Amino acid sequence: MAGQLTSEPVAPAAAPPAPGKRPARASLLFLARAGSALLKRTALLALLLALVFAAVALLPGDAADATSERGESAADLAARRELLGLNRPVLERFWDWMTGLPTGDLGISARGEKVTDLVSAAFPNTLLLGGVALLLTAVLSLALGCWAALRPSGRLDRAVSGSATAVLALPEFVVAVALVLVLSLWTGWLPAVTLTGADGSPASWDMLVLPALALTIPQVGWNTMIVRAALADETRAPHVETAVLDGLPPHRVLTHHVLPGALPAIAAGLATSTGMLLGGAVVVETIFNYPGIGSVLASAVTDRDSPVIAGVTALSGAVITAVLLLADLVRTVVTGGRR
Amino acid sequence: MDLNRRQLLWAGGAVGAIALLAACGGGDDAEPTGSATGSAKPRKGGTLRVGALGRAAAITRDPHGSQANESDYLIISLVYDTLTVPGTKPNTEPRLAASWTPSEDLKTWKFKIAQGATFHDGSPVTAKDVVYSLKRLRATPAGASRLPGIQAKNITAEGTDTVVLVSDYANAELPLLTRLTTFVVPDGTTDKDIAKAPGTGPFKLGWFRTGNARLVRNDDWYGGDVYLDAIEVKIFESPQAMANALLAGQIDLASNVGAVAARTAESRKDVQTVRRPNDMAMPIVMRTADGPFADPKVREALRLAVDREAMVKQVLSGYGTIANDILGTGDPAYDKSIPQRARDLAKAKELLKEAKFDTSKTYELLTTEDIAGLAESATLFATQVREAGVKVKVVKQESAVFWDKTWLKGDLYTTYWGTNDSVVFFASKTMVSDSGQNEAGWKSTEFDTAYQKAIGTADAAQRTQLLGQLQQIEYDSSGYLLWGMADGIDLAGAKVRGLPKLPGYGRVQLEGAWLAS
Repeated sequence: MAGQLTSEPVAPAAAPPAPGKRPARASLLFLARAGSALLKRTALLALLLALVFAAVALLPGDAADATSERGESAADLAARRELLGLNRPVLERFWDWMTGLPTGDLGISARGEKVTDLVSAAFPNTLLLGGVALLLTAVLSLALGCWAALRPSGRLDRAVSGSATAVLALPEFVVAVALVLVLSLWTGWLPAVTLTGADGSPASWDMLVLPALALTIPQVGWNTMIVRAALADETRAPHVETAVLDGLPPHRVLTHHVLPGALPAIAAGLATSTGMLLGGAVVVETIFNYPGIGSVLASAVTDRDSPVIAGVTALSGAVITAVLLLADLVRTVVTGGRR
Repeated sequence: MDLNRRQLLWAGGAVGAIALLAACGGGDDAEPTGSATGSAKPRKGGTLRVGALGRAAAITRDPHGSQANESDYLIISLVYDTLTVPGTKPNTEPRLAASWTPSEDLKTWKFKIAQGATFHDGSPVTAKDVVYSLKRLRATPAGASRLPGIQAKNITAEGTDTVVLVSDYANAELPLLTRLTTFVVPDGTTDKDIAKAPGTGPFKLGWFRTGNARLVRNDDWYGGDVYLDAIEVKIFESPQAMANALLAGQIDLASNVGAVAARTAESRKDVQTVRRPNDMAMPIVMRTADGPFADPKVREALRLAVDREAMVKQVLSGYGTIANDILGTGDPAYDKSIPQRARDLAKAKELLKEAKFDTSKTYELLTTEDIAGLAESATLFATQVREAGVKVKVVKQESAVFWDKTWLKGDLYTTYWGTNDSVVFFASKTMVSDSGQNEAGWKSTEFDTAYQKAIGTADAAQRTQLLGQLQQIEYDSSGYLLWGMADGIDLAGAKVRGLPKLPGYGRVQLEGAWLAS
């Protein structure tokens, strides 16, 4: 496995075949596994969407109430319900909505706007923010984790682990408020909120910095812990001990022998973070007025607007599924198909 | 116009305190010359960046749609014109309708369209366009309450410049009803094209994207001079983010940002605070039809038990005025001669005894966190009436639950009304026996008669007198305890001038705004 993820040429065929050195079989295995994982996750998503419809139906009040004005009579409300199709059974509405899904039709919001219009500008913005935050998280947590792992149980290791635990426990909104205060209102270095231009995306790149940091900081705490633990586990593996006994310098042991084996755990951690980043986006987007999917979702829940909530859930679910599959891919490549 | 709970968390203490710290830092100490609402010679030019509250999922482009977002309503109000607009005195001023005349019986009203009024595409506004727009408005689910007493078939054109509305009953205040939603679009505009329909307003739509818009001056506006080159409207989900944007100089005006933000900006010399009185009523509703508060003596006792000054000071941070249990405080016809109720715990206890009110029981006061201060008002009220021997427990409900289960039905709950509406408006909507939103289940034939008389009287002086009687009945025996009125609060940068002063929907009148150099 050593050398798997480096640019070293693959060992010649004369070498004893190691697991993972048969790309055809491994990729077939991966495809089969990815296929079944995809099926499982799609079924799970469908179930989740059904739950969304059911949960919204169970909430007090409905979209007709939420979008009405004071002064509408019972007859007006009934007409509105009819208009929104709310008088039909929830199962039927869910089925209607689901049948539109494969064609990319996410239905109509309670206020008569196309759900695709509502999310088409917001979702890419959230992906951009989440992507930046995920990248930052990956780089920072790997750097910090490796740095600490090079001197196990040293002062630095203790400091990194300690602060990671502390940061991990911070809610996003506390981080966000502190960031606005210090980096915007007191120093004036960065914009306090995100404003959009005619194209619906943030008007300037520096508006991304604070929201991305607010999402990243708690996640870095969590992922640094994972990286550190995965590296510690891998250090105890026999091939690493051999490398150390061979007298290789510590950083080379780390990059060539320890990291590759620790990658699956690290990738799984980052995949889990994706879900948390999307969740945190709801809070962070509100604080920074970031024009993303979080604010759409929050206000759709207020409005009992099932098609919008389901639309956002479907898109987020698709993204999380894709990221989890990627994490699977990393594990398959590294372990060569062994579970 | 509702905020959700998270926004209120935001408007809550911890963050408020942090923002307070923020306000202490930064900012220059230059005193602004002139003031936001003062009068100096206006200067032409510049772009005003305005923040307004709105939720992404609630965006609507339809001028006759269900308006939940202040940001949408602001954009629509600047692009389209209503027949009349809110004013100070009188409270109804001409806009697209230059003048109006009633028939002898006050049922038939003729509105004359302003001369030279054109749509942004250059075509003149005719009676046909207005009739089409009013009928479209009437056909919406809320149409019956938006144009009360006016059936669709009774909206007709007379010639090219006159529109005739026939009411089912005599209504001296009919023009007042056309102030808020009678936006005019071209005849025949379909639902599909409504977002692109040209308006007649002081600004044309430059672009619109996910709740944000750029509006450019309409040089041909019939209504007078417009000074700004453009207005950019930015949608904000939370008042706190909007306040931060203003403090950081990213916007020039934070519309209806609220008392918490005003407090945080108090120390900033480069920020102007605009207070628009009588913006929001948050009365406590006591059910009159049945239940523990059906006896007028009990209601009187609670009205005497409340400490109005303390409510205004603590719930509204002082950004408000005390009130006298009569709704419609901003109306020129509001009766200031009715004596102000003051706290009198001894009398309150006496009345409760006379009414044999059961003081051993604990009564629930239901509230929501829809708007800032509402739940706080309930909590403070509960502590105050305890001193008169009434035990009240505050129950906070989620917004949807409240409107579904409590509103119009509860024995004791908080409500709120956020427009600069008249005595007659509140009477017709919430107090006449057959009104659809009779919040306290109040049925008073005396009140109904006084109301019918007042709206059927053409002579203004006589009508004012009748409205005085109406208010006296309301003061004595209605189901409302109105302890105070919250100010509407906008924050503006140092250069902004000519901002609206009116409460409620009056906040959208930005056509007179300008930027000092």
